[in-house]
Amino acid sequence: MISITPKAQATGSETSFESKLDLTNLTPEQVALDINKLNLFYGKKQALNNISMSIPKGQVTAFIGPSGCGKSTLLRCINRMNDLVDDCHISGEINLHGNNIYNKHVDVAELRRKVGMVFQRPNPFPKTIYENVVYGLRIMGENNRRNLDEAVEKSLRSAALWNEVKDRLHESALGLSGGQQQRLVIARAIAIQPEVLLLDEPTSALDPISTLTIEELINDLKEQFTVVIVTHNMQQAARVSDQTAFMYMGDLIEYSDTNTLFTTPQKKKTEDYITGRYG
Amino acid sequence: MDKLQIGRHISGQFNEDLERVINNVMHMGGLVEKQLIDALAAVGQSDVNLAKQVLSNDYQINAYEVSIDDECTRIIAKRQPAAGDLRLIMAVVKTIADLERIGDEAEKIAKVALESFSSSQQDLLVNLDNLGRQVLEFLQASLDAFTRMDFETAIKIHQMDDKINREYEALMRQLMTYMMEDPRSIPQVMTVIWSARALERIGDRCQNICEYIIYFVKGKVVRHTTAEDMQNL
Repeated sequence: MISITPKAQATGSETSFESKLDLTNLTPEQVALDINKLNLFYGKKQALNNISMSIPKGQVTAFIGPSGCGKSTLLRCINRMNDLVDDCHISGEINLHGNNIYNKHVDVAELRRKVGMVFQRPNPFPKTIYENVVYGLRIMGENNRRNLDEAVEKSLRSAALWNEVKDRLHESALGLSGGQQQRLVIARAIAIQPEVLLLDEPTSALDPISTLTIEELINDLKEQFTVVIVTHNMQQAARVSDQTAFMYMGDLIEYSDTNTLFTTPQKKKTEDYITGRYG
Repeated sequence: MDKLQIGRHISGQFNEDLERVINNVMHMGGLVEKQLIDALAAVGQSDVNLAKQVLSNDYQINAYEVSIDDECTRIIAKRQPAAGDLRLIMAVVKTIADLERIGDEAEKIAKVALESFSSSQQDLLVNLDNLGRQVLEFLQASLDAFTRMDFETAIKIHQMDDKINREYEALMRQLMTYMMEDPRSIPQVMTVIWSARALERIGDRCQNICEYIIYFVKGKVVRHTTAEDMQNL
């Protein structure tokens, strides 16, 4: 790396708008997820090649890359969604607060409570708005009406949906618009207070205005949760994330803070992808 | 041009947009260079007509600046350039601002030719011509480096400005002596001082252009750094 020592005070670093984390040198307190030499095979085909990265706590980390690069696969590893896929085997570790989630004795249901997920298409249950939000809490055995009411308001407020639905909490969730449904699903995911929130292309089925609402929401959510987002929309990654990882053909090509990755990427493959060039 | 890798975008239209911008910057640079050559020639040969021509041609440079600026704004709005493309657009926007100012300085220099100098004052102009040649050389080298986005050359010629500054200071001392020796020459000497100052400013602006080239190629901001740090790039 090139380092430049300033002659005078005007280097820009003191007046820099955002502070950067050193991703290769995070303290244990700063790390939410530590992925270590992760390999994943679908049958004989290797979909992830030796991925190692640390995802910092309380920040938004984006995975970008062309279709089939493994970004969704990697995201789904974080709450063991790939366990549901036949013929999929995994080696390596993903540590959530120092504990490997792929240990034999890990309770997957408990893991998924800590690591919530939101998908590309909003998938509300065919129930009322209220019942959608409290669904996870009821499964966990919470039946106290007051606690549930409180959780509904808090989650819907966090998901920036409260004002739009407060008068029709007991109507069907399927009557909401796509953008509202997606925010409802996010409210449902955060109602059980997860530590990590995984978003798999959360806005690709939404219009630009709903997309901006969700992006604004993601920015608010990072105060409480660690957010990991997969997106096809590079400008979205640039707007919402603090860190960006660029993946290509199952390899992690470059992982750095978003500002650096979008202005001065270090790898040619990254440059080619984000500037829309032939590889 | 090859370093820019403009032609490799999946979007052919984006390629065309960027190529057009770069070509326009080169035309603008050529025009600025010609203005400076003409201004210096007009002063050296006391050619009033040539000087007037320089004054009347400046509008073309201004027009280029406005249209390239527009084009860059449009590209940012429509294409959201990132990484190298973004740095290229930023470098272009800054470069054309400096080129436009170099054009203005050339205009100031040309105005010297409109003044009348007695034969005893002609050697004032000889010294100016010397500084002018160095500045012109720097401008040509900078434009050349910009055309090829040649990072090594940009670093190498970046220091030419120091030499120009030293030359400028020596000239200032000399002109001061003139004024002290013969106060009646002050109006003419002042004119020479203004144009020497204009030349010195052109040197600074060429240095800026070198810095934009370095920014484009390396993504490093080298403004306000020492020559030593530049060497370590």
